Amino acid sequence: MEIDRADGRNPNQLRPLSCSRGVLNRAHGSASWAQGSTQVLAAVYGPKAGTKKNENPEKASVEVIWKPKTGQIGKQEKEYEMVLKRTLQSICILTIHPNTTTSVIVQVVHDDGALLPCAINASCAALVDAGIPLKHLAVAICCCLADSGLVMLDPTKLEEEKMKAFVYLVLPNSILSVLPEESSSVKGEQMEQGLITSVTHGVMSVDDYLHCLERGRAATSKMSDFLRRNLQPQLSSDSSKAG
Amino acid sequence: MEQRLANTWRMTVNEKKFIESALLSGLRVDGRNVYDYRKLSINFGKEDGSAEVHLGQTRVMGIVTSQLVQPYRDRPNEGTLSIFTEFSPMADPSFEPGRPGEFAVELGRVIDRGLRESRAVDTESLCVLAGKLVWAIRIDLHILDNGGNLVDAANVAALAALSTFRRPECSLGGENGQEVIVHPPEAREPLPLIIHHLPIAVTFAFFSDESTLVVDPTHQEEAVMAGRMTATLNTNGDICAIQKAGGEGVPQSVIMHCLRIAATKAADVTVKIRDTVEAYNTERALRKIKRHSAPVALDVSGTLPNLRKNQVKSEDQREVSGSVGTQVEKLKLMNERKNSDQSNDIEDTSKFSKKQKGSQSEKSTQQASPKGSAEDMKAISPATESAKIASQTHGEKTLKDAVKPKHKRKKKAPSAVDGS
Repeated sequence: MEIDRADGRNPNQLRPLSCSRGVLNRAHGSASWAQGSTQVLAAVYGPKAGTKKNENPEKASVEVIWKPKTGQIGKQEKEYEMVLKRTLQSICILTIHPNTTTSVIVQVVHDDGALLPCAINASCAALVDAGIPLKHLAVAICCCLADSGLVMLDPTKLEEEKMKAFVYLVLPNSILSVLPEESSSVKGEQMEQGLITSVTHGVMSVDDYLHCLERGRAATSKMSDFLRRNLQPQLSSDSSKAG
Repeated sequence: MEQRLANTWRMTVNEKKFIESALLSGLRVDGRNVYDYRKLSINFGKEDGSAEVHLGQTRVMGIVTSQLVQPYRDRPNEGTLSIFTEFSPMADPSFEPGRPGEFAVELGRVIDRGLRESRAVDTESLCVLAGKLVWAIRIDLHILDNGGNLVDAANVAALAALSTFRRPECSLGGENGQEVIVHPPEAREPLPLIIHHLPIAVTFAFFSDESTLVVDPTHQEEAVMAGRMTATLNTNGDICAIQKAGGEGVPQSVIMHCLRIAATKAADVTVKIRDTVEAYNTERALRKIKRHSAPVALDVSGTLPNLRKNQVKSEDQREVSGSVGTQVEKLKLMNERKNSDQSNDIEDTSKFSKKQKGSQSEKSTQQASPKGSAEDMKAISPATESAKIASQTHGEKTLKDAVKPKHKRKKKAPSAVDGS
């Protein structure tokens, strides 16, 4: 059965994506990512000397600061910071610059559903803009589950509130390989099948979750293409931001 | 705090000397004249009350929200206005998260004095129930990029956000009139704040050579400067606040000179803010018309509302519930279309086409400017974001589009209409 979404999308349709990099002048890397009305601005300050006390000094560490649109920082923001930090730590190559801290600052410009995936996408683009070495890119998506069992992608805030459950999924970027097909599998299983982060809200059955995962994976290939196109090097030369 | 992580940016001696010696000849590093402002652009967000200001490389975002609270004891009839400044670490590598540094506090105070203590925003109109409930307006200023002169940019952001903010309308009800009902924006059009004047902050930077001063310093000039002064003025010539906290001593004549310059700059910036807010309000009214089709259509009594703009009045004007007085031409076209949808049970195309012709002839007899504005509307409507309701058509709306199939009516939910 078809559920009418308020903005006329069908369940598998994402909102229009837009990404611009290099939007800030002082930050080493910055990106603004918008999915429909949800918009997030992320800035990255490249490796700074020293790590915090509880971090491992033999590796680089990532520090995330989440700035909400209005109001004080509460538990929700701390949770987002933690999820974002763990996700970014898994995609950065931490062994290249030990005993350094890379700061990622996320500013919420407007929240209309799927805020955390939007922030993860923005941070990823900002890390690329700053030139931080990464293993691969990550694309994040939100899938929600209606009472009828229908899985919808990229909900708006109203949809998120009405749904039975929703899950934020972060998947690795799809592989664009120049090598022949066989060598793209890692340890016998495709790397594309991996899942970096998953945060669920609400109750859903295992089958529903796996269903969401499939749908999410299918959608991330579209997002990966968008990201790849967007991250093509820009023609204008950027002046050095370190000074 | 995290001293070892703060890799502060230090300017080289060469750069400092270069900036100072260039200023002796009246040249600035970015090519501006000594009294020139950088390019100021104001963009508004999707919600009411959010504005982003670019002043050259400086970027500040202002967000206004409101809440019902109890008033202060000594001012039971007035609402409150509070300003929070967030020096986001993304703006500058030396900004630390956590407790605001002294510069952040100073900036907050300067803007606070300029806005609140000069009574720019009318707080008495924010009172709902004297002594019990008033509106508390909260302004959050997020500094996103520090390119220098944060005070001016943050001030403009606060003013722009306040000018476009709309607070929900509330009315008194209940048995003894003591209950407050807050109407959601779909039911009743939210109201703008009453702003008496726009206090504009203009910052001057003084250098160690006495006669050198610049307006709107960049962050490199700020690193070199010896003293700074911020004057907050409005176009009426009132000085709302002056802030000169320490730094190089300057003679009185220089201060007076600065105030005179500040007056002209304030006038320019005020005009700029007013124009962009005007453009935003017009666009917002267009969007409102598209969304609130039902309340507009139900109110067919035909009494003329009071119009703010002097547009040509025609007989067919319908009352629009509470929307900001804007170009009537657009309202009229939309109203007629919606009215005919609702009032006719059967989609009688012939009857409608007569109406179409009637209004078109009316349109042609009107002056050129309303017609230009109608075309303007058609140009703007593709640019405005389409409303989330599926039945809305995208792009140009002509009267022919109004002859829509019946599904459009199903989506409209009749809601309480403000009859006044």
